[in-house]
Amino acid sequence: MTHPMLAIPAALPAGSPWGAQTLAERASASQNLWVTAGYFLLAIVGVTVLLTLLGMVLIYVERKVAAHFQCRIGPKRVGPFGIFQTIADTLKLLFKEDFVPPQADQVLHILAPFLALLVPVVLLALIPYSPMTQIADLNIGILFVTAIGGFGVMGILIAGWSSNNKWSMIGAMRAGAQIISYEISATLALLVIVLFSGTMSLSGIVHSQSEGWWVWRGHAAGFTAFIIYLIASTAELNRTPFDIPEGESELTAGFHTEYSGLRFAFFFLAEFINMFTVSALTATLFLGGWMPFHVGDWAVLNGAMDAIPPGVWFLGKTSAVIFLIMWIRWTFPRLRVDQLMHLEWKVLLPIGIANLLIAAVLVLTNFYPFPH
Amino acid sequence: MISSAVYTVMFYGLSAAVILLAVLAVNLRQLLRAALALMGMLSLSAGLYVLLHAEFLAGVQVLVYIGGIVVLIVFAIMLTRSSELLEDHPRPLAQVLGALLSMFFLFVAALALRDTRFPVQVQTGPPVDDVRQIGLLLLDRGATGYLVPFELLSLLLLVAIIGGTVIARKVAPPKQPFTTGGDARGETITESARTQRDIVPGEGAP
Repeated sequence: MTHPMLAIPAALPAGSPWGAQTLAERASASQNLWVTAGYFLLAIVGVTVLLTLLGMVLIYVERKVAAHFQCRIGPKRVGPFGIFQTIADTLKLLFKEDFVPPQADQVLHILAPFLALLVPVVLLALIPYSPMTQIADLNIGILFVTAIGGFGVMGILIAGWSSNNKWSMIGAMRAGAQIISYEISATLALLVIVLFSGTMSLSGIVHSQSEGWWVWRGHAAGFTAFIIYLIASTAELNRTPFDIPEGESELTAGFHTEYSGLRFAFFFLAEFINMFTVSALTATLFLGGWMPFHVGDWAVLNGAMDAIPPGVWFLGKTSAVIFLIMWIRWTFPRLRVDQLMHLEWKVLLPIGIANLLIAAVLVLTNFYPFPH
Repeated sequence: MISSAVYTVMFYGLSAAVILLAVLAVNLRQLLRAALALMGMLSLSAGLYVLLHAEFLAGVQVLVYIGGIVVLIVFAIMLTRSSELLEDHPRPLAQVLGALLSMFFLFVAALALRDTRFPVQVQTGPPVDDVRQIGLLLLDRGATGYLVPFELLSLLLLVAIIGGTVIARKVAPPKQPFTTGGDARGETITESARTQRDIVPGEGAP
């Protein structure tokens, strides 16, 4: 039983660029150099527009959600319901002085925000938004997602060091230690999904979930991996309750204390786009990506679910995860540094390793609730 | 035709950038900038692997070298606060020896490159890059498999982990012999205290 959207590329004549499912495939299928260049341009423009839009929307949503969690109203004066508040704030940031401290390492100070923003930008190109909307589908998808995170850590470390400020330095060290610790648990959770689906390509993982999403189809192992990934990736995002790297009460603002204007906006944007990519990856890996919700043989329900476009499914799942992460942020208090390390090394890591073993046994014995 | 031209341009562009960044990584005096140059060099050589259709190798290169080793180097630099190379002028003897050694290495490398036939040049088609195949080869006990090197490497990593843990382990401070009162006094005297002060348990403190 495959999704009807999957039948469309197969129905196209052979050699048609639309037979391919990603922009990269279409670009390499075309013989004309200008068409290939056009696809590259389309990819760049698409990612840029998505980056800007997501930044605007997510910051507005975060402020509104935070406000309602705290029994406030939130931004409401600029435009209807305050929807232009983020635009006003962005304009303000654009016109602020871009200040580099005299004692800072100029080159590294300027370079760091770009490194921090590089990771979410690259990840945006890998996410399958719908069967036909993906920029590149690597056959090492998950490995690449894990690997590219190193650039983000470097961006934060370089930012903290080059600012030549003790708060920045301590914040950067905390962030680096936290991210490389929680990366292990996140990777272990991702490996469970690689075991289940037998592929590392992100769109391949979505296709493998046409019978049911891994979060419940993988029994307790899938659900445990989902919870571990959610906790570990929230920690990698440096968001509350894991925000000691930029704990306002201790370190003013952590690694970006000395940044202002547009460069501060870069860090801010990177944080929010990272939240989107983490949520989108969670949705893709555990919640079926753009796959609709199906229940066994209920043809009527399944047909109704298929009528909803895959892109809407993807956006809905991603938004749900984003809301969950925001909910966590505005509910839990900040962890102390020793509690943080305790949680990773003594709780999440053993559970993650045991979970991976259980998942391997499940796969070896073909112990799935739904028949293949 | 077009694509091969594009590949050629990309290959030479990447190679030039890799060489430039490698020279920078060796010559820059600010250590953190050198580490950053090293990171750029490693990620661009991952780009070279991608051009050779070895995506898995490229991914592992970025994962291990940038996410692991360069981050470790940066951590070491930040923790020791050694932002610049302190030893500016090595001794003349060291300079001459270093030059000789590196020239010898260059000679050996050139010889090796001249006499090696690379299989990729001979075979047609890109090398196999299926992650599943790589995994099966790594655990293959046959003549073409890599089980023994793979397991030896995991043993090496295990030794490294245990060694790191032993070195980093917090050593408990020696027990204070005279803080507990009453009858338990003699039992808390440690070996070192006993030899230092010739205290025998049960005889009481001097």
